[in-house]
Amino acid sequence: MVYFQKCKVIIWGAAIFLCLGAFCDKHGLIWAASAEKLVISSAVLCEDVQERQPLYEGVVFSIGIGKIFCYTLFDPVPEKTHITHNWYNRDNLTTKIKLSLQPPRWTTYSAIQLRESDKGPWRVEITDSEGRILQVLRFSVTE
Amino acid sequence: MDGFLIFLQSIRWQDVVDITLCSYILFRCYVIFRITKAFRILIGLAFLWIFQRLAVSIGLIVTSWVIQGITAVAALIIIVVFRNEIRSVLQVKNIKTLFWGLPQQPFHTPVQIIANSVMDLARKRIGALIVFPGKEDINEKIQNGILWDGAISKEMITSIFWEDNPVHDGAIIIEGDRIHEVGVILPLSHRQELPSYYGTRHRAAVGLAESTDSLIVVVSEERGTVQIVKGFTITPMLKKDDLEKHLQQHLGLVIKDPSGQKKEKNEIRLAAMVAVIFITSVWFTIARGLDSLVTFEIPIEYMNRNPGMEILDASVNSIKIQLAGSVPLTRALRPDHVRVKIDLGKSVVGQNIYTITNENISLPPGIFIKSFNPAVVDVTLDVPDKKNLPVQVDWTGKLPENLRMEKVTIEPSIVQIIGGRQLLNNINTAYTEKIPLESIQSSRTIIVNLALSPASLKVAPGFKDKITVECSVK
Repeated sequence: MVYFQKCKVIIWGAAIFLCLGAFCDKHGLIWAASAEKLVISSAVLCEDVQERQPLYEGVVFSIGIGKIFCYTLFDPVPEKTHITHNWYNRDNLTTKIKLSLQPPRWTTYSAIQLRESDKGPWRVEITDSEGRILQVLRFSVTE
Repeated sequence: MDGFLIFLQSIRWQDVVDITLCSYILFRCYVIFRITKAFRILIGLAFLWIFQRLAVSIGLIVTSWVIQGITAVAALIIIVVFRNEIRSVLQVKNIKTLFWGLPQQPFHTPVQIIANSVMDLARKRIGALIVFPGKEDINEKIQNGILWDGAISKEMITSIFWEDNPVHDGAIIIEGDRIHEVGVILPLSHRQELPSYYGTRHRAAVGLAESTDSLIVVVSEERGTVQIVKGFTITPMLKKDDLEKHLQQHLGLVIKDPSGQKKEKNEIRLAAMVAVIFITSVWFTIARGLDSLVTFEIPIEYMNRNPGMEILDASVNSIKIQLAGSVPLTRALRPDHVRVKIDLGKSVVGQNIYTITNENISLPPGIFIKSFNPAVVDVTLDVPDKKNLPVQVDWTGKLPENLRMEKVTIEPSIVQIIGGRQLLNNINTAYTEKIPLESIQSSRTIIVNLALSPASLKVAPGFKDKITVECSVK
C-alpha cells in the first residue's frame, strides 16, 4: 500500500514537471534549470585591445588613429556558438565579422581599418547566431 | 505647303472671330465717318501713327517721340474742333444705323419750295437772309436767334420776311425740313473790297460765310436780286434752277446717277477689304509674330495623384522653357501664364518616367514653344508610412587633443518619422544636424535639430524634433 502511494506521488510529480516544461517552451520562458541565455556583459568601442581589455573607450574617434575596435565580453556563454559584428557607415553595411564564443565566459573583438572616406556616423550591430540583435553601439569617425 | 497647312490648323475659331469683329468695327467707323470732314483728319492721324511705329522700328528715337506727341495733340484737337460733327454722327435716333447700313440724311430739305419762295421774295422786293449751315457749328458766330422750329412752306418764309413781322430783319436758319431759328443776327464782314451798295444784310451774309462753311441766300430789298454766299464767293442767282442746284449741292441732295451709285458701292467694298487686310496684318503682328524670345523657369504641377501615394522624389522641380511670340505679347507674358502639368493618374509606387511634350505645357494664345529642358522627368512615388528610428549624433570637426568623448546620452533616443514606405525601409537611423566638436571643451548639453533627408521625411506629430545631447568628455 505504502509502495503504491509512493509510485502515485512520483507519477504526479513527473506529470506536473512535463506540463510546466511544455508551457515554458511554448511561451519562450527560460527554464533556469535546463538552459542559460547568452548575455553581453560588456560591449564598447575602443582604440585598442590589450590583454583582453579595451583601451581608450569612446564614442568619437579621430580618423588619425587608423583602426577602431569593437570589444565584447559575454558572460555567461551557455554553449559553443558564434556572434557577428556588423559595421554600418550611415546605414550602409560595410563590414561583417563572425566571431566564435566558448562557454562559460568569452571575450572577443573585431576591428576595422579607417580610411579618409569613413568619416561620419557609424554603428555596430552585435547579432547572435540566429541574426537577433543583441546590442547596438553607435560612434562617429571625425577628423 | 506643309507649313501652310500647319498654320491653318493652328488658327483657332477665336482668332477668326477676333479678326472679323475688329475688321467690322473698323469698317463701320469708316462708313459712319466717311461723310464728315473729320474723317480726312482721322486718315492723316492714322498715317502719323504708322510713321511713328516705323520710326520706332528703325530706331529713330527722337523722331518717334515727336510724332507721338503730334499724334496725341492732333487727336485732342480733332475731338475739340469736330466735336459737333462727331456728336451729330453718333447722335442717331436709330441705334441700328451705327451697326448696319449706310448713314443717310434723315430729313430732306424742300429745296424746291425754298427756291420758289426766294424768287417770289425777290420779285416782291422783300429782303431776306436765309442760312443753310454746313458741317461746322455756327452757334458761336450768331446771336439773338429766336427758336421757331416750323415746317418749311412758301407762305411761312414770306410771312417771316414780311416788313411788319418783328423778326423780318434777322436771318433764318434752315436745318433739314424745318426753319430752326428766326431773327438771327449774323457777324458782319469787315472786308473793304465789298461793293459800296452792299448793305448790312449782304455784309452779314459774307461775315458768316467767311467764318463758317454755311451757305447764305441773300435777297436784296432794293434791287430785288438773289445772291448766294459761300466761303469768299458771292454768286448771283438769276434763275430758280440755278439756286436749286446750288442748294442741293450744298445740302448733299444731288441725286446720284447709276454709275455714281456703283462707284460708291465699290468704294464701300474696297473699304471693307482694306479693313480686313489691315486688321489681319495687325493680328499677325501682335498674335503671330515670332520675333521675340523669352525664357522662363516654370515649376512642374503634378495632377491626379493617387491620394494614397505621395511624391517622394522628382528628378527636377521645374522646366526651363524658351518661348517665342510678338514683342508686345512676350513683354506682357509672366511666368504664371505658363503651366507645365504632368498627369500622375497612371503612376505606380516607385520610379515613374514621364516624357514632357508640348501637350504638357499650356500657353496663352500667340505664344509658342521654341524649346524646353529637360524633356524627361523621373518621379518617385510612395505610400505614406511611419517608422520609429533611433537617433544618432552626427559629429564633425576635431575634438581638442587632450579630450576624449566617453559617453553620449540622447533625449529622445527614438523618434517616429513619417515618409514613404519604400524610403523608410532603407532608413534605420535618424541623424542630427552636424555638431562641431571644436566647440566642446567640457561635458555639456547641446540642443540640436534632426537632419532628415530627403526633405519629404517629417517627424510625426507628438514627437520632438529638437534633440537634447548630453556629452561627457574627459
